[in-house]
Amino acid sequence: MESFITALQNLASPEVLLVIFLSAVYGLFVGSIPGLTATMAVALLIPLTFYLDNLSAIAAIVTLEACSIFAGDIPTTLVRIPGTPSSAAYTDDAYSLTRQGLHETSLGVSLVFSVAGGLFGALVLILAAPLLAKIAFQFTTYEYFWLYVLGLSCAAIVSTGSRLKGALALMIGLMFATVGLSEVHSVPRFTFGFDELFTGINFIPAMIGLFGLSEVFRNCLTSKTDEVAKKLESAVIKEDDHSLFKHLKPVFGGVLTQLWKRKFSWFRSSCIGSTIGMIPGAGADIAAWISYAVSKKCSKTPEEYGKGSLDAVGDATSANNSALAGAWIPALVLGIPGDSVTAIVIGVLLMKNITPGPAIFENPDQLVLVHGIYLTFIVANLLLIPLGFLAIRSGSQLVRVPRRILMPLILMFCVVGSYSINGSYFDVWVMLGMGILGFFLEVFAIPLGPVVLGIILGSQLEQSFVQNLTKDDSFLSFFNRPISAGLGIFCIVLWLYPLLMPLLRKKEPVAN
Amino acid sequence: MNQNSLANTTVRFRLLLFCLMFFSGCAAESVEDYPDRPITIICPWSVGGATDRTSRQVGVFLEQELGVPVNVINATGGRGVTGHSRGLNARPDGYTLAVITGELNMLHWQDLTSLTYQDAIPIISLVDGAAAVFVKDDSPFHSMQELQEYVKQNPGKLTATGTASGGIWHLALAGWLDFSGLNAEDIKWIPMNGAGPSLQELASGGVDLVCCSLPEAKTLYESGQVRCLGVMTEEPLPEFKDVPTFKSQGMDWSISGWNGLALPLGTPQPIVDKISNAMKKITSGEAVLQGKTFPEFMQAAGLSTKYRADDEFAGFLKSNDKTLGKLLTSDAFAQMASQDTGPLVFPAMLTSAICLILVCLAVQKKVHALAPDVSSDTVTSQGIVNTILVLLGIVAYLLFAEKVGFILTAGTILFVLLWKFGTRWWMSALIVLCFIPGIYTLFAQLLRVPLPRGILGW
Repeated sequence: MESFITALQNLASPEVLLVIFLSAVYGLFVGSIPGLTATMAVALLIPLTFYLDNLSAIAAIVTLEACSIFAGDIPTTLVRIPGTPSSAAYTDDAYSLTRQGLHETSLGVSLVFSVAGGLFGALVLILAAPLLAKIAFQFTTYEYFWLYVLGLSCAAIVSTGSRLKGALALMIGLMFATVGLSEVHSVPRFTFGFDELFTGINFIPAMIGLFGLSEVFRNCLTSKTDEVAKKLESAVIKEDDHSLFKHLKPVFGGVLTQLWKRKFSWFRSSCIGSTIGMIPGAGADIAAWISYAVSKKCSKTPEEYGKGSLDAVGDATSANNSALAGAWIPALVLGIPGDSVTAIVIGVLLMKNITPGPAIFENPDQLVLVHGIYLTFIVANLLLIPLGFLAIRSGSQLVRVPRRILMPLILMFCVVGSYSINGSYFDVWVMLGMGILGFFLEVFAIPLGPVVLGIILGSQLEQSFVQNLTKDDSFLSFFNRPISAGLGIFCIVLWLYPLLMPLLRKKEPVAN
Repeated sequence: MNQNSLANTTVRFRLLLFCLMFFSGCAAESVEDYPDRPITIICPWSVGGATDRTSRQVGVFLEQELGVPVNVINATGGRGVTGHSRGLNARPDGYTLAVITGELNMLHWQDLTSLTYQDAIPIISLVDGAAAVFVKDDSPFHSMQELQEYVKQNPGKLTATGTASGGIWHLALAGWLDFSGLNAEDIKWIPMNGAGPSLQELASGGVDLVCCSLPEAKTLYESGQVRCLGVMTEEPLPEFKDVPTFKSQGMDWSISGWNGLALPLGTPQPIVDKISNAMKKITSGEAVLQGKTFPEFMQAAGLSTKYRADDEFAGFLKSNDKTLGKLLTSDAFAQMASQDTGPLVFPAMLTSAICLILVCLAVQKKVHALAPDVSSDTVTSQGIVNTILVLLGIVAYLLFAEKVGFILTAGTILFVLLWKFGTRWWMSALIVLCFIPGIYTLFAQLLRVPLPRGILGW
């Protein structure tokens, strides 16, 4: 308790608060630029952390992370380019809301649910860190295999329209993930003589291309007769005129009631988020997908999902924010990073002579720092409310820009964003190719989300698959540990359920 | 109307020409002025690892010594091929430094790249982390002899991990088995993506052994969750005096993973000297940052170092390449490279799944079900022209950005697109003037992501 009060005093010093404020602004900024991820923003911050004291350095990282994951929702909603991979799960929902002129409501829900999810994650971190970390430590390659299968299955199952097309999209994504030097075999595959393809297809340019560029193509193709677009623009302006007087209303109006009404689903999503976040190697993006799938299953209006459902945005966004704090649990307790940001955090802590591990909960000096981290999570999330509101307000001006001006500008951001991640022109080619692919996939009503997740998780899935078979070449070994057996059976049921359903309901007339 | 737009075009070209002439004067570069713009360090491994931490630390100190920003880019993947080739194939102007690691002396023996240590100008070696063998706290093994005895009795029973197959730690363990007169396949190697996940796998009971460097396992080792059976050195490590060496257990086997700083071949000598001198000053502890020296920072991070400069580093690279080559081309290791589950198994499974899904879709007659909002009657000829313009814009950027620079290329493309999409020419120009320098400053200055400089040299 004493260390808690000391931590509070340390945190309340003007320097620390200034650092938190500046990192929040920086995080919002970086997160809302497609191509720049939270990980990259934190990596860019490392040299600065040498000049800061321990608490400020860690506080800066925590704040930056929380704010940039929320800020990723802004371009997702407004221009359909996920700002960070964590937003990919609900891109279609959020963008559909924008097309209905409801972008401010959608972002308001994103903001409030992000904050609520983030606060929940912080609570889990505070209350259950050492206990829960032990569970995460039961995960071997078998459990990981099923976890990846579960995450990917969710993406295919939640996709709008035909499930088969969702599965097809997923397989296309997984196929792209096999390009490059296979991590397990050290053998180049499908590189066609391009050295750049040794690394495989980078998912950031792929994501920008699939979602962003394909949208530019679609807008350009239907440019002259876009009566839909014109209607949309006028609708947006009308709605905005009204909001000029009450800035707060379109963003926050009804959101708190929404939160109250959906308190149980918020709780469920946040629990999913924290749990997934705790498992090393599974981060905010998988958390968002799984929570989205669960939310759709439990929803009374599942047909709205993918076409602009506020429930979907809210549930998925609270999961990805609560996953952030979850990832700190194995990092602090075991020194094993839960995601790429906490990997950097461990590096920073070591540099500052703090070795993460059970010992930091016992050393009084370091316990103050741990409590400082807890408090920063709370402060950062609270600070996100006013700053996030300002970001939404300024971002929303984008929607009023005529499309003939907006489209070339989005194109520029697609190009610069995909180039900047590695400083490679090849990534821009990838972005272009994926943009064309994304356009045609959409023409055939094949969802894009599963393609992205397939690219992100494909190599890990294959890796754990090969690792399991190297350990023991019988498929039964996939079920020989309690957790892996449970996860495995769950996955199989998940897949067989939609296959069996049509057989059970064969007599019903097929709709349309 | 037509004449008007023609006049606009001339105005635009005059403006462009003027800008070109104005700025080209600033672009000249000379060796004496080095460095006068930001330097990039290419790190071939991902954020958070030992090599990344070293690279970033070097970056911070070099920034102070040379007086220009030094950025680190993690060019990861392909088991280090990507980063090494990007660093060593960069333009040899001293503005790109390469961090090289032990893999440089391994990849070419495994036919994964043609790059060797001879493609690098060695500056200084930094980290030198000896391999060590870890077991879980409840493991029955307490010394290397016990382990050796067990493997002799039960070949193929134990599993080990630490890195990808054929990586440095795999080589260390397989080399030890070979050295002990055992078969290199007697311990099954599970390929893993680095030491972090490997240790987690060990602690969860997924594997029996982990081979990696001591600092990488520091936390779990110090908390007692894993035990170290021995470190592959001759002398005990100063930071870990309690850990027995292989030599003290009667096995004269040592191997370590290292990293160091190098420059692309062809960098002018004065620049090489400048960087080399700066690095000597940094590694000798002369340069102080935040009251701490570079060696102190490295010690705090738990990284063991061995600073070999210039010719000494070159000599080390040569002998290291020979040692690793001998191991990698030995029969024992070549046999092991073949795996049960081949590289095409997974893609083949995916292909059959895709075929299955397509068949199902064909049966359901859903292949041609189009999305509701895209249909042939909303597409106009103007729309097709616009889409082609967008495509041409991206291709033009790819072709010209590196030579001409971001500002001019992106500016021109943006102007043409805005103008063709129906914005007035002066409005388009205004938008270009506001946005393009803005984006450039944002990325290059604030976010430290360098965009192509080109002839403006901005």
